[in-house]
Amino acid sequence: MTIMPHKFKGIYTAKKGKNIVLCTKNLTPGRKVYGEDLFKEGKDEYREWDPTRSKLGAALVKGVSQIGIYPGSKVLYLGASTGTTSSHVSDIVGEEGFVFALDFAPRTTRQLMYLCEVRNNMSPIIADARHPETYHQYVTMVDAVFQDIAQRNQAEIFIKNCNAFLKPGGFGILAIKARSVDVGKKPKQIFAEVRAYLEKNTTIVDYRELEPFERDHCIFVCKKK
Amino acid sequence: MAHTSYTNCIGTFVFDDKKLVEEKLSGKKEILTNSAKMTAETPPFYVLEALAQPKYLALMREATILITKRKVAESLRPEYLVVQAVSNVDEIDKVANNLAKRLREWYELYNPEFSKSIEAHEKFAELIQQKTRKELLAELGMTEAESMGAEIPAEDMKPIMELAKQMSELYALRARHAEYIETTMTRLLPNVTAMCGSMIGAKLLAVAGSLEKLALFPASTIQLLGAEKALFRHIKTGAKPPKFGIIINHPIVARTKPADKGKAARMLADKISIAAKIDFFKGEFKGDALRKEVEEKFR
Repeated sequence: MTIMPHKFKGIYTAKKGKNIVLCTKNLTPGRKVYGEDLFKEGKDEYREWDPTRSKLGAALVKGVSQIGIYPGSKVLYLGASTGTTSSHVSDIVGEEGFVFALDFAPRTTRQLMYLCEVRNNMSPIIADARHPETYHQYVTMVDAVFQDIAQRNQAEIFIKNCNAFLKPGGFGILAIKARSVDVGKKPKQIFAEVRAYLEKNTTIVDYRELEPFERDHCIFVCKKK
Repeated sequence: MAHTSYTNCIGTFVFDDKKLVEEKLSGKKEILTNSAKMTAETPPFYVLEALAQPKYLALMREATILITKRKVAESLRPEYLVVQAVSNVDEIDKVANNLAKRLREWYELYNPEFSKSIEAHEKFAELIQQKTRKELLAELGMTEAESMGAEIPAEDMKPIMELAKQMSELYALRARHAEYIETTMTRLLPNVTAMCGSMIGAKLLAVAGSLEKLALFPASTIQLLGAEKALFRHIKTGAKPPKFGIIINHPIVARTKPADKGKAARMLADKISIAAKIDFFKGEFKGDALRKEVEEKFR
């Protein structure tokens, strides 16, 4: 198996058959999170990162120019769900970093809990991302915010959380699901509206649409002013 | 200089001139009882910055694991159990139907005429266990010699009969679960159950997710619960809007003539919405009166 470092620290690529796939160094060797392939090289183990199941993974495959998540980063992850993407974020930041994994649904948090119990850098939080005043007691300042929630006012929630927790100059990544903003509108139009809103509050660094991995989704990478 | 203090899930921190001067960490046992003492408003940034240290993060992780486990356990609402039960009854219906088709295929090698003569799967599974082929054919006015069925040795009949026995047990299980849904729904949502029966009520509850959500939905949403696909197709492409979702199975809507089905569904949904609100806010029982209103309009 040949593992090559990706242009971002903490992320790797592996040759799988004819394809080059993304992967991260497994923080908990021997454990799979969502049935992904494990690659061994030397004494390290790597987990394949499936872009069809992870919006951050999809953004990387689409060539996003910056994600702002490094080894050692503290990350606020809103919409952690069962931990598919957040486990990779946990791999990237490593033992020195930390992930606050927040989700609203008890059902998915149950799954997330098994992950947090074995990963020393993940903290499970049940809270409503719309109301930072209800969960700041479980969170500290962070170097990056990642948000993937299906809410109508996704952009507003994102700015609220960046204002409350993100350090100045820190990066925020926002995955937008056009269909939960308004099913009737054209996705392109919604993305433009979100962009206009974000530009008022942050500096937009990069923007990618996630076709063909996710339909009607896009990702914004922002830097806090 | 004024001191400010901030309490989070792991303890209390005192700041003097934006510098952390004192920490009082909670013990393991206090963590779960601390929530009332935690600071309510979002703190200024320097507080969150001072807490972003490895030693605090490790403690916060332990604390949130404890707290979140508690929250998951406490998130159970009584209606979640009914929602599981009603989904299970749907599941049993699907499985039973598939198995019944298999049982008939299998048994028809032995006695096709009887299988053809009876439609209800449940009755079929029961009768082939109770009576011999001779008796069953006699009821149809036939003899074994006239039948298309083959002679099958006892050892090969055994698995067929075992399946039939399991089928009967499956139908009995379904009946018991339906009864459980009936009693639980009558207890939890008396008004909704009086309006539309326990099965439709429980299905509405299952799609809504919880009684709170069902109660806070507008009537127009309740009218279309279960018709999401058609609704979004309408919004996206301008196709015809749906007129009803799950409540199409309600006897009042089902027996109304097609041109009035939409009207009936609309009025029924109005009253179900009122009933759900009464159930959620624990008002007095009005279900029967509400149902009568709709029944009188659409008979």
